[in-house]
Order: sequence, then structure tokens, then C-alpha cells
Amino acid sequence: MGLDNYFKLFKDAIFYKAFFNTVKFTAMTVIFHFVMGMGLALLLNQKTNTNFFRGIIIIPWLLPSIVVAMLWILIYNPFGVLNGLLKSLGLLSNFKTIAWLGSPSTSLLSVTVTNIWKGYPFVTIMFLSGLQAIPGELYEAGKIDGASPVKAFFYITLPNLRGVVLTTLVLDGIWSFRLFDLIFSMTGGGPINSSEVMATHIYNTAFRLFKPGYASAEGVIMFLILLPISLYYARQIRLDY
Amino acid sequence: MPVKKNHKKLIGLAVLTIISALLLFPIFWMLSVSFRPNGEVLLIPPQWLPKTFTIDAYKRVLTNPNHLRSFLNSYLISLAVTLFTLLLGSFAAYALTRYDFSGKKLIINFLVITQTFPLVLLSIPYFEVIVKLGLYDTKLALILVYLSLSFPFSILMLRSYFAEIPHELEQAAMIDGCSSFQAILYVTMPLSVPALIATGLYTFLLSWNEFLFATVVIESIQNRVVTISIYSLLSEFVTDWAAMMAFSVLACLPVIIVFTLLQKQVVQEIMGGAIK
Repeated sequence: MGLDNYFKLFKDAIFYKAFFNTVKFTAMTVIFHFVMGMGLALLLNQKTNTNFFRGIIIIPWLLPSIVVAMLWILIYNPFGVLNGLLKSLGLLSNFKTIAWLGSPSTSLLSVTVTNIWKGYPFVTIMFLSGLQAIPGELYEAGKIDGASPVKAFFYITLPNLRGVVLTTLVLDGIWSFRLFDLIFSMTGGGPINSSEVMATHIYNTAFRLFKPGYASAEGVIMFLILLPISLYYARQIRLDY
Repeated sequence: MPVKKNHKKLIGLAVLTIISALLLFPIFWMLSVSFRPNGEVLLIPPQWLPKTFTIDAYKRVLTNPNHLRSFLNSYLISLAVTLFTLLLGSFAAYALTRYDFSGKKLIINFLVITQTFPLVLLSIPYFEVIVKLGLYDTKLALILVYLSLSFPFSILMLRSYFAEIPHELEQAAMIDGCSSFQAILYVTMPLSVPALIATGLYTFLLSWNEFLFATVVIESIQNRVVTISIYSLLSEFVTDWAAMMAFSVLACLPVIIVFTLLQKQVVQEIMGGAIK
């Protein structure tokens, strides 16, 4: 006993696979959330009344993960709407079908796209509230000094948003890194571990293979990876005691 | 000049409309599929609107006693969790706002850190504790588990709100003869209604949407919650997609209705809590 589980873990090929899948999943999610969130927040931060759009754009974030998972399983079905759309647009030949979730080469990507779709509202709303906190005088001063809108974005908007962006993306990264329900219910980690992340691997080891000790060892490693990032997050948010 | 400005605004709105339509297409698809017979679901080329509009799928969901029971269970569990979180959470949050004691900083930081803890790691000891307590496969077990999940964030949210209510208000009430408990009850609590509503909704949403612990702690059909019922439809031999989507729509309804009614304060309060 003792550290046995850990030694075994470091020789386990699926553990490494799950680790790198988790990193890929998290990195793709955070990058796309940053781009989408920033674009949408800038669009929503107009002087016109955008309350209606703010209201509806948030919906994916409110849906239960299981509903999002089932909906996207249907969309990704070989005879589903995604393949149908690609065929209508001539992007996919009529004699071919792509099993988005059923083939090892696309399963992780498909799950990631779903997670990007579910999570973008959170990032958008956080960025938007950050944008609204920037005093308008800064832009007026910039205008007087002759700054173009592009320059104003890089020299006024981005530096002032830095704190909000960092904290939001750190939290988004942590949430993606530990994500379980979406991936588990969409693919279960398969096919052949192609979409296995650490969270699903831990669950499957504990509750399907009945090796709770081994699973906990992997959980502890996951916790240790997240710990410094969590501490950074806790420091970043301004708490007044 | 004003003409040009209007043009800009219009272009902005047009871009927003197109992007929202694209982003919300999956939701439209869920609704559209839920109103058609199964023969029209998996067609190539896809059919955007149902050819034969039918509510049969909703009937199939709502006449199934197991599905109905899972709705009842979800409401019961979520409401119980919300109630206890608000009651006990506001006590804790109040103490963490107004009183000074050693270890307070540590407790608050711990509450923040729990928000980043990998839940799947918790599910293993939780499972063992629940089994040892003899609570496996009971609704009470889920209520306890969800309470432990909802407390940290709820306490942080309420605390940041309580901190903004001047202590002098309570002191004034106490000079007028209130006990300290009465001062909280009649002064602080009524002022905190927006925060209580936001926290309550957050808690309800968390319990209503939760999936991982429901699979770990619940086994029998009569104790199933909505998320598990939906998931179980997937494993059936031929998936009834229309019913699956109808079920999904019904599961989203309470959440979406409440949020559109209270959208502004609530969303900002909840999301702000993650950062402030």
C-alpha cells in the first residue's frame, strides 16, 4: 500500500491520455471564450438599448448540463442537423457521414465545442460588467488626444479590463479543467478513451471499476494541479475581511 | 453626423441579431424537435420546422408516472435545499460580516477555494459517508450533499451584500429597544431581500441542474431527479428524440421563467459574486 496507487498511476497510459485531453479541452475552451466573450461584450456595450440581447444571450449558461449534452448528442448524430447542414451547404459529400461523437478523431473536439457554447455567456457578462466600469472620461480624453477607436481599444479598454479578464479566465479554466457532467453524459470518455478527461477517468475508475483508492490518487493529483491556480484566484478577487 | 451615428447603431444591432440567432440555434432546434413526430427528427436535408405539428412528445413525458415523479423529486429537493441554504447561510454570512474572531480570514479564503475544488474527487468520500450513514438512495442524502455544495458560494454572496448595509442602522434600532436578533430580523433582513432572492435562485439552479452526485447517491427509479431521468432516456434501445427534447424543454422551463422575470439584478448579483 502506501504510495502504490501513485506509482501505478504514473505508469498508466490512460492517465496521461486523460491529462493531456484535459489540458487541450481547457486551453481550447478558454481561448475561444476569451475571443467570443470579448467580441460579444464589445457589441453589447453600445449606447443603444441591448437589454433584450443580454437577456437571451445568457440562456445556454442557465440550462442544465444534461440538457445541453442531450441536445448536442442529437445535433451531432450522424443523421442529425449538423451533418445535414454541411451537406446542404455542399461542405460534406452526400455519400459521407461524420460520427462527430462516435469517432476517436472528432469526439474531444465536439465535446469542447459544446462546452464553449454552454460557457460563453458567463465570460461575456463578466467582460461586459468590466467594460461598463471603465469611466467614459478616459475615452473622451483619448479622443481629444486623437486616438482612433482601435488605439482606444488597445490603450484604454484592454489595460483597464486586465484584472477582470484574468480573474474570469482563471475561473473559467478551473471550471473547464474539473468539468465532468457534460463529457460524461455525451461520450462517457470514449470512444477508446479519445475524449477521456481526468474527471471522467476518476469517476469511471471509482464507480465502474470499483477502485476508489486508485481514483482518489488521481483526484489528489488533479487537486494539486489546480491548487496554485485556485490560490491565485482567491488572491485576485478583492475580499474585504 | 447624427445620420452616420444611426447607421453605426443599426449595423451594430444587425450584427448582434445575426450572432444571437446563430448562438441560439441549438435552443430553437430543441423546441422544434420537441413538437414533431419521431419520423421527422433525423432527416437529411434537415427540416427546420415540424411538418406535422404535434404535442404528442409532451404527452408521452407527462403521462409517464416515473417522469412525473422525477419532477416532483427535483422540486422537493431543490426547494428544501434553497430554504435551508437561505436560513443557515444567512446566519453564517452575518457572523462572517459583523463579528471579528480569529480564523475568520481563513474561513473566508477556504470558502473561496472550495469553489475551485474538483467535485469528482469529493464524490468518492461523499459516497462512502452516505452509505455509512445508511442514507444511500434517499432524497435526504441528496439534500445534504447539495447543501454542502451550495453553502460556500451562498455565504460569500450574502456576506458581500451584508457588508454594504451600514452597521449603524442596526445600532440605531438597538438604541430604540430592539434586541440584537430583532435588529437583524427587522432591519438587516428586509434590506437584504434582493440578495436573498439572488442567492435563493443560485441555490435552486445548482440543485435543479446537478448531475454528478445524483448519479452517485441515487439508485432506484422512484428517487430519481430530472437530470437522471433525462439521462436514462438515452440508454433506451431506440432513442425517442422528440420526447427527449420535450423533457428537456420542461426541465429548462422553471429556470428560464424565473430568470427572465428577475434577470437584471439576479444575473449580475450571481456573476458578480464570483469576482467580488
